[in-house]
Amino acid sequence: MSTSRDLRVVRSGGYVIHVDVCGEVSLDCAREIHKLYYSIKSELSNQFTEVVPGVSSIAVYYDPRKVSGESIVRRIRDLWQWCRDVDIKDLYRSRKFTIPVVYGGEFGPDLQSIAAWSKLAEDEVVRIHSSRRYTVITLGFTPGFVYMGEVDPSIAAPRLETPRVKIPAGSVGVAGKMTGVYGLESPGGWRLLGRTPLTMFDYRRNPPIPISPGDEVYFKPIDAVDFSKLLGVFVGDYSG
Amino acid sequence: MITVGSLRVEYVAGLATVQDLGRDGYRALGVPVSGALDRLSAVYANALVGNKPRSAVIEVFGAISLKLLSNAVVAVTGGHPRVFVDNVEVKSWMPILCSRSSVLKVAPSGVGRIHYIAVSGGIVCEEVLGSKSTYVRGGMGCLGRPLKVGDVFEVSPIDVGYVWSRVADLRPPSNLVEKHVKLESSTLLRATEGVHSYLLEDLNTLLRNEYIVAVESDRMGYRLEGTPLSSAGRLGRLPSIPTDRGYVQVPPDGRPIVLMSDAQTTGGYAVALHVLPRDTDSLAQLNPGQRVRFKLVDISEADSEVSNYLKELEEPILQREELEYWV
Repeated sequence: MSTSRDLRVVRSGGYVIHVDVCGEVSLDCAREIHKLYYSIKSELSNQFTEVVPGVSSIAVYYDPRKVSGESIVRRIRDLWQWCRDVDIKDLYRSRKFTIPVVYGGEFGPDLQSIAAWSKLAEDEVVRIHSSRRYTVITLGFTPGFVYMGEVDPSIAAPRLETPRVKIPAGSVGVAGKMTGVYGLESPGGWRLLGRTPLTMFDYRRNPPIPISPGDEVYFKPIDAVDFSKLLGVFVGDYSG
Repeated sequence: MITVGSLRVEYVAGLATVQDLGRDGYRALGVPVSGALDRLSAVYANALVGNKPRSAVIEVFGAISLKLLSNAVVAVTGGHPRVFVDNVEVKSWMPILCSRSSVLKVAPSGVGRIHYIAVSGGIVCEEVLGSKSTYVRGGMGCLGRPLKVGDVFEVSPIDVGYVWSRVADLRPPSNLVEKHVKLESSTLLRATEGVHSYLLEDLNTLLRNEYIVAVESDRMGYRLEGTPLSSAGRLGRLPSIPTDRGYVQVPPDGRPIVLMSDAQTTGGYAVALHVLPRDTDSLAQLNPGQRVRFKLVDISEADSEVSNYLKELEEPILQREELEYWV
């Protein structure tokens, strides 16, 4: 058992097991998290009340009347060893999503500052951002916020010093190596490149957002006319 | 006789929303659990009117006045609310039989902060992702917004006379309210270590000092004033981790925030401690200016305490006041 495969586990509050999988946010880390996340979901489904992946960790919530935290920790450590050589494809079949985005202007108020940070033209920033395939790292923060990676290092501008109080739903931003979409209107500190007209999160649907950790996302530049045509289309119904 | 009940909001000052025990199971989509800030008070309100523990109740920060458009058994719990039926003061934490057209007023007494109103049968409104809890930021659950004057709620059909015959003499254990809503000068919050305790070399600052509930405290989190944790500033931003109610987050300014029901599902600040759920309920009842102190407990104590708490949420402990009348 190599030490690099050791997990740091913290049990807290009497019902949470926090598992640190890796020290920093990266796609390699995300792949490890997804393997463990989908393994826990399929193998330990009767042990937890909820399992939530983070960007570099996983939290498992349990009912201490029904299972002992210690025994779940042991099972998680076993699974971690077991899934070392497993291909993620055997645990989760990833889906592809295309997200149309109007870049810049009022839709992406920070495109200019990202261009300045990267010392590139705005068009070039857009080309670089929209020419990659991104992996969904996790969802969280607010309903339907999707964390994705990795952004090309040339445009990986840091968060804003002062977060905005209100960001429109569908806003697409970058924060270092990650890019993300705001599912609902919320406060936030990511630098905004553009906005999608798609409805990313709709609580009247089940599931309210079809995107899961491990899925692939492509951004497609569109103009303001397409934006109004596509406004309100559910992300799961858009085929690009 | 089974009647379809309803009630109307006549007056509201502060924040009133419909809540139950929350929306479990959707954290992985970024949906906060929401639900009553003080879960214990919410389930007791329900139990006192014969409802199931997870039924929807009205949570009030401030004051509210409701007109009952049908006969109903109601109960008001929470801090130490003042309760009036048609301007006659009645007791909180016990069932009240109200006749059609009566007006129920609930106001703060200065002790305790949040009130819960349960109506026999339970409030009828839109359930979203398995819960009626209102998450105002997401516009979801029940009305998707705070209550306002003129709102009318339907109450599930119920035989009010039968309910009253079953619940009239129910009372919580005598010391429950005193233990739950603290009157002492300083409230003790039991907590385990948190995810990042090991990174905070001045964690003892948090454990040795008293902190004061700040004005900026709401359904997302209660901020605490006091000696800041200087180590948090050196840590800066950490990778976002899944969080929960009771997590004591310490942003770079070193001032702790105890997360509450509507907190975001992930957070990038250091988590110093995790307050046990029962004590998070008690914290929710504290007003700005009241003092708290943290007490570190180990994980086995936390496990057994949470087991007892979850059991009590499912089966609140009630006693019959004058048993001989009912045998």
